[in-house]
Amino acid sequence: MTTFSDLQLDALRELANIGSGNAGTALGSMLGKSVDISVPTAAALPLAEAVAIAGAPDELRYGVVVPIVGDFEAIVVLLFPEEDAKRLCGIYGIEPSTPDGFSMLGEVGNILGTNYINVLAQMVGMELEPDPPQVVADMLGSILSTVLIGRGEDVEEALVLDSDLLVEDENCSLSFLLLPNHGGIKELLGRLGL
Amino acid sequence: METVVRMGEASASSSAGDTLACIGLGSCIGLALVDRAKGVAALAHVMLPESSQPDPPQPHKFADLAVPALVDMVLAEGASRMRLEACLVGGAAMFQFGGSGQDIGQRNAQAVTKLLGEHRIPVRATATGGSKGRTIRVAVGNEMSITVREAGGSEEHLLGNVAAGKAALVA
Repeated sequence: MTTFSDLQLDALRELANIGSGNAGTALGSMLGKSVDISVPTAAALPLAEAVAIAGAPDELRYGVVVPIVGDFEAIVVLLFPEEDAKRLCGIYGIEPSTPDGFSMLGEVGNILGTNYINVLAQMVGMELEPDPPQVVADMLGSILSTVLIGRGEDVEEALVLDSDLLVEDENCSLSFLLLPNHGGIKELLGRLGL
Repeated sequence: METVVRMGEASASSSAGDTLACIGLGSCIGLALVDRAKGVAALAHVMLPESSQPDPPQPHKFADLAVPALVDMVLAEGASRMRLEACLVGGAAMFQFGGSGQDIGQRNAQAVTKLLGEHRIPVRATATGGSKGRTIRVAVGNEMSITVREAGGSEEHLLGNVAAGKAALVA
């Protein structure tokens, strides 16, 4: 059922690598701490499997959703396990469950999403910009299923670009997902000549 | 045994001790059809209000196809058409995505409710709308119960077995 070739997925993985590298550097300079980035994965998955990519569906996550609009439509999702969100907000003496905590996590989403998207936009010559981030604390399955259905399109599978970021001194890790919509991916691959 | 019904899937059971669950519903709907007297239940994880093609690979994704398909499934497990009752959970609006501006969770709930009306199946309990994700669990058998849990919350009772219902009426 997969509609992407290995070559295309390799190219997308490389884009994710550059994007998350750029995003990680920006987060590092905001926090004044070193940020490690895992090798990203790029996979086209049936929706039911895409929802399960970051853990069990009933696990609680802080989720930051950044819609990307412009020549290419996508959604950036950051997922923080509760303890990791506490450690990250703790750097500034904030509790993640408070309005200040949500605001802080939203700002992290803004910085990561913008920097990831900017380098992508430069490489492929597209106009892209992020909409304001939205922050929730909810079940992982609820967050991802709602994001994947998003605009109510009927799709069989979702393309997921997945990177893990680790803020080293704080032992705080988060998942960074880029979920492009179908039309967006065709456009992106077209620009790359694939 | 607990059967997890994932996005676009459906499952039915008449075996006491079985549980059917949709875990982490957001804008999706967990639709349970039950015959409490027989202890038979079916659960679908509905994603969208309407199908875009006549014969899609996963009919349970769509409210318009999921309702009739789920009725067939629960009847095949031995339920009586006359005793069917429904429970709806989910349909939350967790994010605003702009664009169409339509709330997909609300549209899902409306579509499922409308279809149940056309099939003359009474809706006994709902936990829909709002902004929080939910989990629905259906315990199959004589001790049938349907519960809902919000993220970070506790298990709440939606529907119990027939005997419990009668006791509540007497009280």
